[in-house]
Amino acid sequence: MDMKECNFENLIDDYLLNRMTEEKKEMFENHYFSCSNCFEKVEERNSLISVIKSKGNKIFHDMRETEGTRTRSSLFEQLFSFLTPKQWTMAAISACALLIVFIGVVPNVKSPTPQFVLDSQSVRGGSLALISPVKNTQTIPSEFRWDNLGEGVEYKIYIYKDNLLWSASTTGASISLPEDVKELMKAGENYSWEVKAFSQEGSLIAASSKVQFQIDSHQ
Amino acid sequence: MRLQTNGTLVSSHPNLYNENVVRKQDNTLNIDEIVAKYRPIISFKVKKSIGAHTPEWEDVVNEVLLNVIDKLEKSEFRGESSIGTFIYTITSRRIIDYIRRKSKVLKHAPEPIPFSSPHQNVEDEEQAEHMAKLLEQLKPKYKEVLYLYYYKDLSRDEVAVHLNISTRRVSERVNYAQKLLRKIVIK
Repeated sequence: MDMKECNFENLIDDYLLNRMTEEKKEMFENHYFSCSNCFEKVEERNSLISVIKSKGNKIFHDMRETEGTRTRSSLFEQLFSFLTPKQWTMAAISACALLIVFIGVVPNVKSPTPQFVLDSQSVRGGSLALISPVKNTQTIPSEFRWDNLGEGVEYKIYIYKDNLLWSASTTGASISLPEDVKELMKAGENYSWEVKAFSQEGSLIAASSKVQFQIDSHQ
Repeated sequence: MRLQTNGTLVSSHPNLYNENVVRKQDNTLNIDEIVAKYRPIISFKVKKSIGAHTPEWEDVVNEVLLNVIDKLEKSEFRGESSIGTFIYTITSRRIIDYIRRKSKVLKHAPEPIPFSSPHQNVEDEEQAEHMAKLLEQLKPKYKEVLYLYYYKDLSRDEVAVHLNISTRRVSERVNYAQKLLRKIVIK
């Protein structure tokens, strides 16, 4: 009987290594009593296994040394054994991609800048805090002060009554009110003012909100 | 079966025999050839069952063969099964008889010591040494599979996981390693 026809070859190892049930073992033994090809292969495999079992210490001494090394790194292997190398590669590539996005793209995403509506015009930029006057004053203010945004910034102040009363530019964080503008301001009246900051290139970089103040009428 | 005057057995049902049955030109069974053919097979089975280290294994084999010849001559082999099955059945029974004789209580056959043969002759030992040297010279990927599968007694699936290859690849490497060894031995 030809081995290939009956597929018993796959059972040889299980038979020789005593990994079979009794029933299967009897069936296999009965087979090789009738099949000279199978028996030849069984004998050949048995010789090989016998030598390996009896002389394996000598034959595989290098494997056993490597195994000792492997045992020491088994913890390392255990950590990485839950994914196949392919899966680890994909995970690493995904992590790199995320890192690139996080480092390269995220910082460039600007946080939405505050918008101010100034004269019905939306202006985008940083906020600029006004320092004084921010509340009612007893006298006509001599000086208007605001936050200093640093060097290289040009500030433009606007003072309103109903319409624009006066505007001027300065590089400092304060400006003195000219006498001729003071004369235009009267007690008991409401005024408002705002400041805009520009870069050296002329682009708006910050703007304050409009702050109202009143000059006390008992003046 | 019937016994001819010249001492040979004649098959009554030639079509029931498998192609491995040893026959003479006149289609009669050749007992000498049957003994020669089946002695190594019976020996293999007996040694595996009671242990190659047991010195009585040869006696058991002879007992089996005598039984076979006796039954053939008495026409107890009717050709209802193959001659191989017939001889296997006799072999299994004689092994059980031997084990019963050696064990007072037989529930399970005594576990033979597999693969150890301290009574091997010098020639067998030389062959084993030679095979061991050939195994040492195998490429690491084949040696590794043989080490894990046979020496460490791992299953094919376990070997596959250990080496991070498929189970099929494990089988391929085991088979290829044997082919390589066979080639070297022939050379």
